Amino acid sequence: MNEMVITRAEREARLEGMGCKRKRVEDVRFTQGKGQYVDDIKLPGMLHGDFVRSQYAHANIKRIDASKALALPGVVAVITAEELKPLGLHWMPTLAGDVQAVLADGRVSFQNQEIAFVVAENRYIADDAIQLIEVEYEELPVIVDPFRAMDPDAPVLRPDLAGKTTGAHGPRKHHNHIFEWTIGDKSATDDAFANAEVTIKELISYHRTHPSPLETCQCLASFDKIKGELTLYGTFQAPHVIRTVASLLSKIPEHKIHVIAPDIGGGFGNKVGAYAGYICSIVASIVTGLPVKWVEDRMENLSTTSFARDYHMTTEIAATKDGKVTGLRVHVLADHGAFDSCADPSKWPAGFMNIVTGSYDFPVAHLAVDGVYTNKAPGGVAYRCSFRVTEAAYCIERAMDILAQKLGMDPADLRMKNFIRREQFPYQSALGWEYDSGDYHLAMQKAMDAIGYRELRAEQKAKQEAFRRGETREIMGIGVTFFTEIVGAGPSKNCDILGVAMFDSAEIRIHPTGSIIARMGSKSQGQGHETTWAQIIATELGIPADDIMIEEGNTDTAPYGLGTYGSRSTPVAGAAIAMAARKIKNKAQMIAAHLLEVSEYDLEWDIDGFRVKGNPERVKTMKEIAWAAYNSPPPGLEPGLEAVNYYDPPNMTYPFGAYFCVMDIDVDTGVAKIRRFYALDDCGTRINPMIIEGQVHGGLTEAFAIAMGQEIKYDEMGNVQGASFMDFFLPTAVETPHWETDFTVTPSPHHPIGAKGVGESPNVGGVPAFSNAVNDAFGFLGTTHIQMPHDAWRVWEVARRLGLHG
Amino acid sequence: MQMNDSQRIPAPRAVVWAALNDPEVLKACIPGCESLEMTSPTEMTAKVQLKVGPVKATFGGKVTLSDLDPPNGYRITGEGSGGVAGFAKGGAVVRLAEDGPDTTILSYEVDAQIGGKLAQLGSRLIDSTARKLAGEFFATFSAVVAPPQETAESPIEEAAPAAEGQAPTKGWFKGLFGRDTAAGVILGLALLAGAFSCCLDGTHAHAADLSICTGASAV
Repeated sequence: MNEMVITRAEREARLEGMGCKRKRVEDVRFTQGKGQYVDDIKLPGMLHGDFVRSQYAHANIKRIDASKALALPGVVAVITAEELKPLGLHWMPTLAGDVQAVLADGRVSFQNQEIAFVVAENRYIADDAIQLIEVEYEELPVIVDPFRAMDPDAPVLRPDLAGKTTGAHGPRKHHNHIFEWTIGDKSATDDAFANAEVTIKELISYHRTHPSPLETCQCLASFDKIKGELTLYGTFQAPHVIRTVASLLSKIPEHKIHVIAPDIGGGFGNKVGAYAGYICSIVASIVTGLPVKWVEDRMENLSTTSFARDYHMTTEIAATKDGKVTGLRVHVLADHGAFDSCADPSKWPAGFMNIVTGSYDFPVAHLAVDGVYTNKAPGGVAYRCSFRVTEAAYCIERAMDILAQKLGMDPADLRMKNFIRREQFPYQSALGWEYDSGDYHLAMQKAMDAIGYRELRAEQKAKQEAFRRGETREIMGIGVTFFTEIVGAGPSKNCDILGVAMFDSAEIRIHPTGSIIARMGSKSQGQGHETTWAQIIATELGIPADDIMIEEGNTDTAPYGLGTYGSRSTPVAGAAIAMAARKIKNKAQMIAAHLLEVSEYDLEWDIDGFRVKGNPERVKTMKEIAWAAYNSPPPGLEPGLEAVNYYDPPNMTYPFGAYFCVMDIDVDTGVAKIRRFYALDDCGTRINPMIIEGQVHGGLTEAFAIAMGQEIKYDEMGNVQGASFMDFFLPTAVETPHWETDFTVTPSPHHPIGAKGVGESPNVGGVPAFSNAVNDAFGFLGTTHIQMPHDAWRVWEVARRLGLHG
Repeated sequence: MQMNDSQRIPAPRAVVWAALNDPEVLKACIPGCESLEMTSPTEMTAKVQLKVGPVKATFGGKVTLSDLDPPNGYRITGEGSGGVAGFAKGGAVVRLAEDGPDTTILSYEVDAQIGGKLAQLGSRLIDSTARKLAGEFFATFSAVVAPPQETAESPIEEAAPAAEGQAPTKGWFKGLFGRDTAAGVILGLALLAGAFSCCLDGTHAHAADLSICTGASAV
């Protein structure tokens, strides 16, 4: 009779469903070195490809001589644009409606651009062959500064677009102009500024950086000439989209393309796009009839595949003297590099930059974004954030601090005064979004209390006075940030990628013995989907999470999905899981009613099965129902227990959070010591608190990197600087501060389980928190805005220019 | 990149000028120099093997002289390519000033541009490498041009076969006044000196320079 003693709490705990700090199941293989990554896959006869890349940022290619390379034993082929031309593959469409050279077509437009693809029996031979290929260049003038891109005498960076006065997103104003995108009520905003009591204006730049996943972009293409089928293994955040793009470009029917994304070692947006390496590997495999692998090295990854940011935001706020904001006006100069291969939903050339009103009740606002070409690598992906949301959050959070400084107000008080109030949700923003839910005042107050905000300000004041008296060489900064994200793209009415609507999907199949396999359109790159998706199903269907296997990344078996980026997995795929589970539950209820010989309406769900209302002893567990579903279904009901759901969300979700950073800066060394970092996140319903905490730790570490040093810089010749981990700041455990995490829960009203997504919030909120802390530390000495990144050299230089070094 | 410096050479100006124009001396003094050849009275080619951080390559270069003003100085311009390792181009102004009868101040202003992989990978090492190699060059060079008794143990002594049977100092360089060859040293310097103006002493790992230096936006 022992089994009868199990309590409800124990039954619930056994499921390890939503809210459980379940350990990550994928870590069993990762921590033992048993993950299966693309480079672990070795096929018989496999060849290796590698690129000859441009030395110059801008040059005509006069001659390519591969004869010495082709004479090297072990070299199978050298592919240039000339070889791709007959296939129509020397250029490819980008996600942003532009075209991009797969291999340089007579001209290179950024340093390290792909010129030729060498295919050899192994990678060493390929590298040797690269040294033997002679490329003759004719150097051309270079533009690396986006502010010079539209000068009247600026060199033409895209001769292929000559005469085109209209691009994918409207008129082009200049030969290096890509698009202008505007939103908001311009005249009402201009009026607000004309009548403002107080205004601020600042150029707030968010420098170019890179997602830098530890595993670089790579693929393995294997074309079967007999079957006419292509198998493509790759580091794909969106495997189905890659399949569709590969089919459209190669003309191989989509059902004959098998895209497989195995374990992925971090993506952060870097692995959304389609790259020259994929195209060249596919072509090389078709030509040679052998599998061809392409693996980026670190420099190639950092300098060619998808940078992030490079937004230069001239930001103005209008306000009353007592600190009520009355208008926001932002102009962005967006540096997209040599080709516009920004990865945004097609109709959003500047992503969701119009979330720039942030958490504040701006009555009017206007945003204009000009995209320009420069001789820098193309890209513009969302590096651990929804599309351009971290740029928007940085812009408004810096600007609010600048306004607070001008008004002589405390920056936390200024935010409290202007927050969208709880009762205003769902809230229509001045730039067109409908915020789903939030309680900003509650979250902010909780954060301020937790960190002891007023005491910190008092301490800071005392330290400033001590600094002025010469008693200390340290200054103290308190970075305040309150961000609102917009994630979960998206409603198909306004979000698509190359015409494919941005829904997502789940297929759940319960086996006769009550265990489950579920397949998803999403694709984990470290997010822990195998753990969390099982938890949603466990709670919805009453099957223990350990009995549920999650499979992602095989386009033959998974339902079509748009993949994982922009914090869209929980808001979209997570919803699809819940909806598919509910379809199964409906059928299970019919079967349970049949087995218990009652009406469906007499049943109620209880943790892991259906019980008869008023007679809780009469139960059919989901496990029993599963057996019956196959072997004794009710008459007339088809056997089996499975369901598919394609979920098109009615709205985005709007996670938010309050972050505080406390730092002490040594003005003589420029070293900033992070004393405390407190992060309160509200991501709605929490599926796995431990995974959330891990996500926040990781995102904060990336935010720390970006704000405090990480940068892809170019010199005036267009030489990329910082394309190795010698120069590109990737913090390790040694540099990384201690993180304190906290939360509030405001469920999304439109999401089936109320979840909003969290993976990217810490990057979005973390960067302004660090930057505001640096600015806050120096503010009392007269600075208004110090550009990122705040590495020790630059911080020291600020101190020097302020005359602090005597 | 720019590199401005001056060196005190313990030899008369005419001797220094002559040495600066002696391909054998230069070949021996430029670290890693494999060859120096005149192609015309004002042009020469050089091959220098360099290792900057992880990049090692042989650079082939072409150099042209102008504004010749013996023995006061000249301007040289040149460019060199190291294949996939990168390329360099630039120029320098070299001045010789007397500091007493037996001492010469050699000052140089190098303005060079480095491109390709060398500029990507070695950028923060280039400046320190350039200064180190320049130091090696002048140490050897000073030893060569200094009065012979002080250079008895100089490793360069045997590198001046043309000097045999000639008067000590000046005679070493007789017939080798091909000023063209002096360019080699500057090519070397230009190649060594590399990169960019702001912060290349390696003291700040991630920094590069202030954003104001990129000419973009910034405070």
